[in-house]
Amino acid sequence: MEKLPHQTLEAKDIHVVFGGLRALNGVNLTLSRGGILGLIGPNGAGKTTMVNVLSGFQRPNQGRVSLDGVDVSTLSPRKIAQAGIGRSFQSARLFRDMTVEENLTVAGLGIGLSKAAATEQARDILDWISYRNGYDRRCEALSYSDERRISIARALALQPSFALLDEPASGMNDRECEQLMEIIVNIPRRFGCGVMLIEHNMQVIMGVCERIHVLDGGKSLAEGTPEHVKKDPAVLRAYLGDKARANAVI
Amino acid sequence: MRHLRFWFPVLALAVPLLLLVFLSGQFASAGVQRLVTEALIRLVFAVGLYIFVGNSGVVSFGHMAFAAIAAYATAWQTCCQMLKPITMSGLPAFLRDNTFPLLPAAITSVALAGLVAFLSGLILMRLSALGASISSLALLFILNVVYSNWESVTMGTSTIVGLPIYAKPWIVLGCAIAAIVIAYLFQVSRWGLALRATREDEVAAAACGISLYWTRLFAFTVSGLVAGLGGVLLAHFMGTVSITSFYLSLTFLIVAMLVVGGMRSLAGAVVGVTVISLVIDILRRAEAGLSIGSMQLSMPPGTQELILAGIMLLILIFRKDGIMGGREFQWRTLPDRGLSQGESSIGNQRAARSEFVSLEEPTAKRS
Repeated sequence: MEKLPHQTLEAKDIHVVFGGLRALNGVNLTLSRGGILGLIGPNGAGKTTMVNVLSGFQRPNQGRVSLDGVDVSTLSPRKIAQAGIGRSFQSARLFRDMTVEENLTVAGLGIGLSKAAATEQARDILDWISYRNGYDRRCEALSYSDERRISIARALALQPSFALLDEPASGMNDRECEQLMEIIVNIPRRFGCGVMLIEHNMQVIMGVCERIHVLDGGKSLAEGTPEHVKKDPAVLRAYLGDKARANAVI
Repeated sequence: MRHLRFWFPVLALAVPLLLLVFLSGQFASAGVQRLVTEALIRLVFAVGLYIFVGNSGVVSFGHMAFAAIAAYATAWQTCCQMLKPITMSGLPAFLRDNTFPLLPAAITSVALAGLVAFLSGLILMRLSALGASISSLALLFILNVVYSNWESVTMGTSTIVGLPIYAKPWIVLGCAIAAIVIAYLFQVSRWGLALRATREDEVAAAACGISLYWTRLFAFTVSGLVAGLGGVLLAHFMGTVSITSFYLSLTFLIVAMLVVGGMRSLAGAVVGVTVISLVIDILRRAEAGLSIGSMQLSMPPGTQELILAGIMLLILIFRKDGIMGGREFQWRTLPDRGLSQGESSIGNQRAARSEFVSLEEPTAKRS
């Protein structure tokens, strides 16, 4: 499948069932190139399952995922990565016994770059995210926040049309979160891709997302601008419960 | 300087081997030279196995099958033209009635081993890591059963004799260095890098667009080729070929060498062969008996295997990444591994703390 350019990533009527648990129940979601969409929801809402569906790691029981209208629901994760959907993982999942540079180079090789070009690209991206602890540092020796940043950088090394970032700020302190926000805000401009951000940290979500999609119990609860979502009664109920929602602010 | 830095991990292994062969040729007895040559052949096997096992993290027990295939192929081409029509009457006429030059015979034999590795890899590499390991052992069993019973072609369990003996120390050293160079070039190539990524994390590698199947298959084929080279060398070192030479004892010896040296680096493979070969020789002599004055001391038969097993267990318990710890000899000075591990541990502690805070945030907003 041709890799670039793709303008929209669309998930339509996605259903995922694990045994008796309905993890996703008819979710519709559209991500545009150049935009930043936040995907939020309480624990167990189905956010990571949605990322797994979009990146090919979870095949939906019903519904389809399409890139510019072309169905990619049945493609393997590898083919989807090559088609232009990069992702990071909740637990970073770096290649721990390899260097930082090699981690990003692998992604470049995955989209067919030569080793020299992939290495050069890796250094460019590492410079761009202001990583200064040495290209040849092994990932097992990285600090937690560096692990998260390298995980994002590796997703970007796929030259994706869409980057799906799964809880990139988890475990970061306020200063690290601010640095991360600056990186995420600039991704669409620098890489020309759309970003979907899953995050529990509302400061990050409200700070960088143009639109927010809220999931709860596997269903779409609301979608709109941060201001709109903040005031949505259904969202407040999901996060805060009926009694507290009257005075609450997300 | 850039070239020197690039080739240093190879030079650091090849130069000592070169010195060893030179010094043993100059000063050592024929028996010691033979031991050195034998160790170098094992080195070819170990490096061949490392190409696949070290980079993929999947243990293969089937590589002696490829060595056997190449050894028999070179035997069919180069041995005993007068005897072949009688002892191996089932061979095709062009093999039975002709004797081929040594170099083309070696090349075609190695190529045949590579071809069989590729064909078997087409199936084996579709399996999970554990499945592939067990199936590779099954491959060795199958080959052993077939060759042990294919009397008209392999002479069954009998030994084929009369092969030209040309695997002398310098030739074997050349092949061992060639094997090291192949292994090094593979591991720094795009294929090697991609394969090591799959070794570290299959899921993340797939998310990076890497094909687990094709990278493993490529490594398995190259690995089979080098194992085939080892088979050819062993055949022309011994001057004989027997299927029992390419079975479990050699398989486990080579795996033990990788475990002891460290499976995750080329230097580990070479160091493992050196250490185990040395230990084997010492124990072999001890089993044969030592004379101290009028006393004759000897260790009971089987001590060698017991001590080797003990060494392997100790390595697995106390240093599971082997003597080399998965590192190559590098041009720069010692890496800051100890410091890095400390930092990593601090990072993980902070991660655990911070993650707790982050997960608590939605709850905190309720109050």
